[in-house]
Amino acid sequence: MADSAAGTSPVGWDWTKWWTTQRRNIAYSFGTVVLLVIIGGILKPGILSGSSLSVLAELASFVGFVGVGQTLVFLLGGIDFSVVWVLNAGAILIAVESAAGNGSLPGALAITLGMGLAVGLANGIGVAYFSIPAIVMTLGANGIVEGLSLGLSGGLTCNTCKDPPAPALLTGLNGKLAGVPGDVLVWVGVILLVSLLLSGSTFGRRIYATGVNPAASYLAGVGIRGVTVAVYALSGLFAAVAGIMLAANSGGASLGLGNPYLLESIAAAVIGGVSVLGGRGHYVGTVAGCLTLVVLVAILNAELIPDYVRSIVYGAVIIVIVLLYGREKQVA
Amino acid sequence: MLEAVDIAKSFGEVQALAGASFSLAPGEVHGLVGENGAGKSTLIKVLSGVLRPDRGQVFLNGRRVVVPSPAVARRLGLGTVFQELTLLRWMTVAENLLLDDLPRGRGGLVQRRKLADRAAAVLSSYGVESIDPLEVPDRLSLADQQILEIVRTLRRQPSILLLDEPTASLSAGQVDWLFAQVRRFRTEGGSVVFTSHRWKEVEELVDRLTVFRNGRDVATRERLDESEAVVLMTGRRLGEMYPPVPTATSEDVLLEVREVRSNVLDGVSFSVRRGEILGIGGLAGQGQRELFLTLFGARRAKGGEIVVGGQRRRIRRPKDAIRSGLGIALVPEDRKQEGLLLPLSVRDNLTLPVVGRFAIAGLIRRAEERRHVGELIARLQVKTTRSGSQAVETLSGGNQQKVLIGRWLLAGAQVLLLYDITRGVDLGTKHDLYKLVAELAEAGHAIVFYSSDTDETAHLCQRVLVMREGRVVRELAGAQVEPEAIVAASVMETAEV
Amino acid sequence: MSVVRRSRWSYLSLQQAPLLLAFVMLGITVAAYVLFFDLRLHHLPTAFAWDSTISNALPLVFVAAGQGIVVLTRSLDLSVGGIMDLTNSLAATHMHSSVPSMLLWSLIVLAVGGATGLVNGLLVTVGRLQPIVVTIATMSILQGLAAWVLPQPGGNIPASYTNILANSNSPLGLVFIGVVAVFWLLLRRFRLGIALYAVGNDAEAANALGINVRRIRTSAFVLSGIMSAAAGLFLAAGSSGGDATGGDSYLLASFAAVVLGGVSFFGGRGSVIGVVCGAGVVTLLVSVLFYANVNSFYESFYQGIFLIGAVLLGMVVTSLAQRRARGSLRRSRRRW
Repeated sequence: MADSAAGTSPVGWDWTKWWTTQRRNIAYSFGTVVLLVIIGGILKPGILSGSSLSVLAELASFVGFVGVGQTLVFLLGGIDFSVVWVLNAGAILIAVESAAGNGSLPGALAITLGMGLAVGLANGIGVAYFSIPAIVMTLGANGIVEGLSLGLSGGLTCNTCKDPPAPALLTGLNGKLAGVPGDVLVWVGVILLVSLLLSGSTFGRRIYATGVNPAASYLAGVGIRGVTVAVYALSGLFAAVAGIMLAANSGGASLGLGNPYLLESIAAAVIGGVSVLGGRGHYVGTVAGCLTLVVLVAILNAELIPDYVRSIVYGAVIIVIVLLYGREKQVA
Repeated sequence: MLEAVDIAKSFGEVQALAGASFSLAPGEVHGLVGENGAGKSTLIKVLSGVLRPDRGQVFLNGRRVVVPSPAVARRLGLGTVFQELTLLRWMTVAENLLLDDLPRGRGGLVQRRKLADRAAAVLSSYGVESIDPLEVPDRLSLADQQILEIVRTLRRQPSILLLDEPTASLSAGQVDWLFAQVRRFRTEGGSVVFTSHRWKEVEELVDRLTVFRNGRDVATRERLDESEAVVLMTGRRLGEMYPPVPTATSEDVLLEVREVRSNVLDGVSFSVRRGEILGIGGLAGQGQRELFLTLFGARRAKGGEIVVGGQRRRIRRPKDAIRSGLGIALVPEDRKQEGLLLPLSVRDNLTLPVVGRFAIAGLIRRAEERRHVGELIARLQVKTTRSGSQAVETLSGGNQQKVLIGRWLLAGAQVLLLYDITRGVDLGTKHDLYKLVAELAEAGHAIVFYSSDTDETAHLCQRVLVMREGRVVRELAGAQVEPEAIVAASVMETAEV
Repeated sequence: MSVVRRSRWSYLSLQQAPLLLAFVMLGITVAAYVLFFDLRLHHLPTAFAWDSTISNALPLVFVAAGQGIVVLTRSLDLSVGGIMDLTNSLAATHMHSSVPSMLLWSLIVLAVGGATGLVNGLLVTVGRLQPIVVTIATMSILQGLAAWVLPQPGGNIPASYTNILANSNSPLGLVFIGVVAVFWLLLRRFRLGIALYAVGNDAEAANALGINVRRIRTSAFVLSGIMSAAAGLFLAAGSSGGDATGGDSYLLASFAAVVLGGVSFFGGRGSVIGVVCGAGVVTLLVSVLFYANVNSFYESFYQGIFLIGAVLLGMVVTSLAQRRARGSLRRSRRRW
């Protein structure tokens, strides 16, 4: 998945070398999804219906958008805590700016995506140029965006704050094409794009190289600061995209919209075999992680288990998964 | 006294020790010699409890012992100075020295003032006056850190002292200090295991030595001359090690450096011609590393000019150096930390600096890339698949070094800065690398070469610049290029500039 | 000739620059607090104002001290907020106004914190997992457990308990801060304290020196768990009740206090005393913003700015101190 060309060489074909840890982890995570869907189908057959599956795919897509950024940042050995409020601010911005109607939609999209990009850029500059630890920089940025979102919207009490976004956005993302919801189609596009970026582009090469060993990459002429800034900028951008999707899906913004997505995006990446130490993993794995999470929750909800159990199960699943294949070689 | 029998240890597919034995007699200094990778360090780590052997037994005073941890080793009376420094960088020298024996007062509390005083007393009892007990190792020179490490081990009064390459960063005077300490230790009844890559030191210090090769002991002798030792260690004769020095015929200056300054460099000027191998000599830590990094743009210069192929260039980062007309490339000493991206494929490692050349709009054209990679793998005879999809960490050290040099050939760099590229490479591969360096010079590259082994510099280079305190203090050319002359120029008291 | 020694002050300024900076920042924040208080209310802060500020600071002082210890060992603990969630909920739902009940439940709560820390520590050391992944997972589990224990904010904390742990009419809070400080100063001088630094400096080297790295790293998580549980008790006492999400905001704040306190995120450098100052700064900042008439919606904005600003300031100070040290080192070499 990550890289199919290596195997096609006439001389170099060797199954054991193609079957890397990375590919194995991705296969494991898709195996987990399939297993969960089967379990779900047995426990509650309704889960397997078309409409139910499309809802699940939609739910997974929201985590998936945030997960793009978290995956890329993980590949560099960083982490992005600012996704929570960038997402929330994105939802508020798209609703407020496009409340006037379809004519205002392009401008609103530009402002919203621009906001995400700007916060990500700031994160990247702080991490790359001022060597601020990623956790501190992105937590700080999260606070800043939270304060500005609450302050400028008066705690979401402004006139247009509760309005739904422009109708075109709603119909575009909530409508279905051949039974597939619009936002899921967008996600499929994003999956293809990000996979191409990671596996087939020079930028992807540089991301992996920087994540594996920044010093060696720098000495090989990789502009590691530029790569870092770009990656955080993308993370901000995709958090804003998730905000737009959620605002469209729920017909408006609300406070705390982004709260679940920090844990879920991290969980999805970790379940998908992306290492927080950098250099290992692929977005395709994260996609499997997103699906695992939503199917798991669907099964739990189907069994009428209270909400807090979901939180406990998330935590437990993360630990079990990393114990299974996320262990470090040796800690002294 | 201490005896190791048939010790084996593997790391993945690499067998570091394949049944090595040796025995240490009471009151002797026992040298372990062998190529890098012969298993000396691994054996010392096994004896010190850092590594667990896969097989084999250790006997101490005739009794079989198991050494599962460094703490146990210490209790058994073994004191080790490891090749990698184990100082705690931001804790004080005093805390580092007395970590296992902190002066306690009432209720087990550590007494800070006493700690510093006692540390000062310990240091001066070993004749070390220049290290401040309240300083932190992070701010000490490498040599001082090594001395501190040695004092810390000696202070515990072990009955057996294991020294793994303790002299690598020491100056001549400091080596004398160490030898005096070792001899004192021996007269007081201790036994010592000593490894060094400097044959003269081994000859001077040891009573007996054991030669290692490929993870096994091949001979134990009381006396051994160098050429005999080389044959034992490698199966090769000494004279065959170095290829003939290429004769630089071209007058074409590829790189000219004028008055380059930085925090460490104090106005360095020189030029290198096409086909020339220019050696940089001097004691360790006189600014050589800084010079290489500055020329490559990895350190900021404060002044001076760098002229590449007749044109002045601003080089502020490695990317600039790689793209500066003829192309400047650096092969660093520590290929695992600074050179290779170990878990990535041979292909990724080879094409990383120039991957953009195989791409259209940022997307890599796989076929194009594979073609170049395949050609290069064939040309350098790297032992891997043609596609280069194997992870570079699974290659042997020599093949890894080839990948690293191959990267810059692919990038088309004409000026190669080779910084201590044979460090940690076994003798056989060293030979291959010498040949490669000479071939590259003959093929028209300009090479700036530094090695921590003065012999290498003397045998490979046509011209040698000796550095001291960030300046070039002497230039040796032609018949002057002799190891003795380089060493003499390195330690000369008055500089001739 | 005797061994070279430099003056005590020179070490203090070179090695403890971040700690000194923490003291200076605490001083500045206290001054700003007094200033804005006076501007707003036209008199200096009363004893009551000071006492309630101090008791407000207590949860953060404790949780940040625990976080600081973990960060010193080059790790981090994202579950501190979750531990506070669970522990304050436990206290609010189970504690009765009898001395045995208060004592018993305080101990149980601290034990719960310690046990959580132990689980974190064992997963990190024995399980060989990344601290960031482990503690974010346990955070989620703890938040779930807290919501199970206390589905709605509420519960009850005995008034007498509040009077001891969160008394706004007496400077009792200073005693608790003193306890943290003394605890740390003592710990720093026991073998465990020194080992914490050693592990944070270089775990491999510490191992080669015979320090049991796993045990030390686990101990740091256990201490953090206990401290966070104590913070949960102070939180419950201060609000006379429980809230299953009440601890969440303390995660960011604990990092802010650690950073402001001059503890290096790369481990091995810094002091919990600095972290206590940092916690003071973060708490006072909220009051300063309040008296400066800043809309409370913007609170986290200023906290974020302050967090990033503090890191940058700390870096500048450290690099200046190091440059001075390098300069003097080079000069002394030349003389040789």
